[in-house]
Amino acid sequence: MEIIIKDLKKTFGEKVAVDIANLTIHSGEMLGLVGNNGAGKSTLFRLILDLIKADTGTVRMYGLNIDINVAETEVWKDWTGAFVDESFLIDYLTPDEYFQFIARLTDTTDEQLQEFLAKFQHFMADELAGQKKLIRTLSAGNKQKVGIMAAMLLRPQVLILDEPFNFLDPSSQNAIKHLLQKYNEETGATILISSHNLQHTVDICKRIVLLEHGKLIHDIENSEKQALSILENYFEIND
Amino acid sequence: MNSYRLYKLICKNADLKENRHPMLDKNRFMKFLMAFMWLYYAAILIFMGVVMALGMKDSYNGVAAFHVFDGGMLWLLILDFWFRFVLQETPAQQAQPYALLPIRRSFLMNVYLTRSGLALGNLYWGFLLVPFGLIAIAFPVGWGALIGWLLGWWLLLVANGYAYLFCRALILKHLAWTLLPAAIHGALIAIMLLPDKNPLDMPCTLLMYGFLKWKLMPFLCVAALIAFLYWANYKLQMSMVHDEVGKKEEKEIKHATQFNFLNRYGRIGEYLKLEVKQRMRNKTVKMSFFVGLGFMIVLSALSYFTPAYDTGFMRSFICLYNYIVLGMMTLVTIMCYEGNYIDGLMSRRESILQLLKAKYYFNILLLFIPPIILLPLMIVGKMSVWMNVGYFFFTAGVLYPLLFQMAVYNNNTLPMNTKITSKQGNTAQQIVAMLILFLPIGLEKAATALLGNPWGYIFLAVLGIAGIATHQLWLRNVYQRFMARRYKNMEGFRASRNS
Repeated sequence: MEIIIKDLKKTFGEKVAVDIANLTIHSGEMLGLVGNNGAGKSTLFRLILDLIKADTGTVRMYGLNIDINVAETEVWKDWTGAFVDESFLIDYLTPDEYFQFIARLTDTTDEQLQEFLAKFQHFMADELAGQKKLIRTLSAGNKQKVGIMAAMLLRPQVLILDEPFNFLDPSSQNAIKHLLQKYNEETGATILISSHNLQHTVDICKRIVLLEHGKLIHDIENSEKQALSILENYFEIND
Repeated sequence: MNSYRLYKLICKNADLKENRHPMLDKNRFMKFLMAFMWLYYAAILIFMGVVMALGMKDSYNGVAAFHVFDGGMLWLLILDFWFRFVLQETPAQQAQPYALLPIRRSFLMNVYLTRSGLALGNLYWGFLLVPFGLIAIAFPVGWGALIGWLLGWWLLLVANGYAYLFCRALILKHLAWTLLPAAIHGALIAIMLLPDKNPLDMPCTLLMYGFLKWKLMPFLCVAALIAFLYWANYKLQMSMVHDEVGKKEEKEIKHATQFNFLNRYGRIGEYLKLEVKQRMRNKTVKMSFFVGLGFMIVLSALSYFTPAYDTGFMRSFICLYNYIVLGMMTLVTIMCYEGNYIDGLMSRRESILQLLKAKYYFNILLLFIPPIILLPLMIVGKMSVWMNVGYFFFTAGVLYPLLFQMAVYNNNTLPMNTKITSKQGNTAQQIVAMLILFLPIGLEKAATALLGNPWGYIFLAVLGIAGIATHQLWLRNVYQRFMARRYKNMEGFRASRNS
């Protein structure tokens, strides 16, 4: 599924949060979005997910026999999974109940759900499945895991994750990197992630977009992980 | 910084918290509405004060109007106590943001308790008491007497405020503590209503007369009561601040009931499970349900055991109240709890429509509780079966659709599980609640006056059945209008989350 962003602008008062003239995310691409705080990463994701209204411009999803504006229809929600923050989680459910809820909404059978959970067994580290703890009582890292897994549960063709490495321990960060890469290879899904962790982003994304004050200032091809030096230079990491 | 400046600063921050609430900050209409309602209720109280002073003067031969009024003193205090649940925060909640700053908690607690005592809210009843006192005390007895009487009332209201804070803190520790004020007030009401002559009339009258005559003992007694309640609050609220700061990890839930029987209803069944779990696992939601249920039982019991509610209006009110209250308590603020996870809901196709349907079916199920509570009244002939039938269907098919319209406009997130809750719902929502509680009675009276009994109630039932039959249509209409306003609503939900 291709995502085509055109003349997209969003301001909050005087502040320009997003101002992107053209950006096409190709089908099956794994795109990393980087930028300092306030660069507009989360706002761009919310615009793509139709959670906030754009001042101007469109976000279109384009695929086989499909060409839709996300603000005009809801059909794209059937093939899009996302986790931006805790407002995606129903926190008075246990993780199992939440997965089951999402599974039933997406016509996933119990067997398919168990199969899915089995793949994430290492990632969950015995702290989520089978627990009688409500999501609101989980640690920030475990909430993050629940959100990421729920987004991937419906096997989306478009997967959007905002700061997926946040709050996760190093083992889980590595685990999710591999899970995302594997998922991308197996399904050909279009994956968008934002992160402040440059190394992880460079490790798994073939293309990296750098945002500054809402504007796209670098669109870096990263098939050979060549983006790291450009990004380190930009963020003045080695100074 | 000296203590006084620190006190002023904390007070200023508390005021800013109110004035800069995101829902108020953005909404000029809301500001106007709140000011209007403040003035509106003040005008009603002034009017009541004047009418009561004049009415009591003529009605009770040989007894001064203020004696009659003071005899019913406890009613006003009970009313004041329960109104505070809507309006007043507890000190522990207010003190929490300062918990990690280098300010002594004991100082903070004293600031907030003092603020609670000196709060202007304690003077609001003055709109009733001052006009009453002017007519019934100042002119016949004297200005000094009026000032003493008003001062006495103020002290009683301050004591009542501290009693409320104490009970509220206990209730927030465990919901069962609601029974404490309910039992005390229930007992007081029973003592006042059941015997032919109210035995509490004389002590209340004597106490207030003592204030009026500037006797030392009544003032000392109430001052001692305030001091005791202040101390008790201090101890209890301090322990609560400790609890809040070192919030203990919530234990595992004991029973993760799955409600598998709802699986057969597909997606609607899943949202029905959400509705049930939302009520079972969130303190605020659970408490509003039980408070509503408690009021239903108390009102019905009072109507059953006493003749005080035997007027036509009160019977209609009790019947309507029983049918609408449980639905109203959540539907007036419909979507406000969902504001906590609105982004998740909005990421699924038509999830809001499924949610609305589930809410409707769940609230229809709640309508089977009132007939059980009202059954004794129907058996003894105090309430007609037709009235129940009429209101059952009218609530399901007319009042619920009206309340569901709030889903289009509500955009303030409400906390679901705060130990210490603040206001639930904004002024507009409270106005809708008041309209829903009284307007249908007018329609019922008009219908029964025009068509007679039982045809008036059958007419109400027919209206309701039409609403139930068309629920798919009007729910979809609500959903479409919600979606048309989705950006504005989501912005509001986000802005008010955690505020």
